[in-house]
Amino acid sequence: MATIFERVRDVVVSQLKVSPDEVTPTSSLTDDLRADSLDIVDLTIAIEEAFVDDASFEIRDEDAENIRTVQDIIDFLAAQGIA
Amino acid sequence: MTRALITGVGAITPIGLTAHDFWTNLTAGVSGVTKITRFDTSDMSVSIAAEVNDFDPGAYMDPKDARRMGRFAQFAVAAARMAADDAGLVLTDDERPRAASSIATGSGGAIETMDEMEVLLKRGPSRVSPFYIPIMAPNMGACQVSMNLGLRGPALASVAACASGLYSFIEAKALIDAGLADVVLAGGTEAALHRLPIAALANMRALSRRNDEPERASRPFDLNRDGFVFGEGAVVVVVESEGRARARNARVYAELAGGALTCDAYHITAPREDGTGAEAAMTGALAAAGMSLTDIDYVVAHGTGTPLNDATETLAIKLAFGDHARKLAISSPKSMIGHLLGAAGAVGGLAAIFAVHHDLVPPTINLETPDPACDLDYTPGKARKMVVRAATANGFGFGGQNGCVVFRKYQP
Repeated sequence: MATIFERVRDVVVSQLKVSPDEVTPTSSLTDDLRADSLDIVDLTIAIEEAFVDDASFEIRDEDAENIRTVQDIIDFLAAQGIA
Repeated sequence: MTRALITGVGAITPIGLTAHDFWTNLTAGVSGVTKITRFDTSDMSVSIAAEVNDFDPGAYMDPKDARRMGRFAQFAVAAARMAADDAGLVLTDDERPRAASSIATGSGGAIETMDEMEVLLKRGPSRVSPFYIPIMAPNMGACQVSMNLGLRGPALASVAACASGLYSFIEAKALIDAGLADVVLAGGTEAALHRLPIAALANMRALSRRNDEPERASRPFDLNRDGFVFGEGAVVVVVESEGRARARNARVYAELAGGALTCDAYHITAPREDGTGAEAAMTGALAAAGMSLTDIDYVVAHGTGTPLNDATETLAIKLAFGDHARKLAISSPKSMIGHLLGAAGAVGGLAAIFAVHHDLVPPTINLETPDPACDLDYTPGKARKMVVRAATANGFGFGGQNGCVVFRKYQP
């Protein structure tokens, strides 16, 4: 069973077209993984889709504003009871 | 007035993923029409098309950039990069403001519109991609080419249905004539292969239903033609001012001598029956090029394979060329690659460019039973080696859009 980090990493790799090696918990989405604001919206939608079977949640705009690193996504998911 | 020269070619087509492979197969009479593999056609009256298969956008551009493009824009960028490489085009920063793109399309990101509509209906508005608008917008073929190659002059995107590709060449020449650009990446792109357009065109009775014989379905000028075959792909060429091309000693395929555009102002889909709209485009193109009709050796027909187009086009060629019509070699690339819609005019242009360059006329395949209403020389079955001093490319679109462009051998 893949860990939450691994599942988040796979979504990040697929959406941002980065190498899996580049993605660490501390990776900054904009600075390290070269995402722009549209990418981050796109990524949040993909995260919602990827974890839709784990819990019912929505990443609102105000939540998205606080997502800057891969760990921020993992923390957000943990707050929804996904860990 | 400076002259406009073709110095590079690129193409993504159902019969070749480079311009040169396309030409090799086109002149060998290879059909790119197959059963549709992209989606289920079990409930459809038409189940054949000319698909581009094995296209990997990552081979031509950053995969992340490719994710932000519709398939039509991916085709355009791929073809434009190949054309720029073929031309050996190197732009300095000073030159970029005078480098332009002119990339036509019939429908822009039609596939993506239909797919995203499904997301909206099935999963709700919160799941709709933030990239949808810049993926779908029809100007994005041109803008993505400009972004990718650093062209900072005008980025034009003609929308003229199935004549679109020819508009792009005419606009490119206009930019060069007006001294507004020295280099223009010009062409057309289309990627709309989806259930909705196939269903609509089938219901319009515009598409061939020869589903059991895909390779024989597209049969322009044949008595038993029953419609066109839907296709996808892109052609982009480098149009360069004579001054710039000569200064760098560029290889020249042909000169873009001139072109003309007219509108039938008549009917949403049917051509003007007397052929005068198409005739005016052909005579206008010759006038714009300062050429007489006997200068033309080859006509790349629009030649869709619909009963109406081919008869009307034949009439229009006779009206435009008079007695010379019977001396012309004519052929339709659509017999092999189907109808690339917004890219079809650019495909015709490329066929004209190569014919002039190689002195070789590609055939019209599947022309087996002559139609009394189509009684000119359509180069049936086999390519013909002959001197091609100049060639015209025709394109006609729904709405009564008519375009004709003339390419000739470049004489310094």
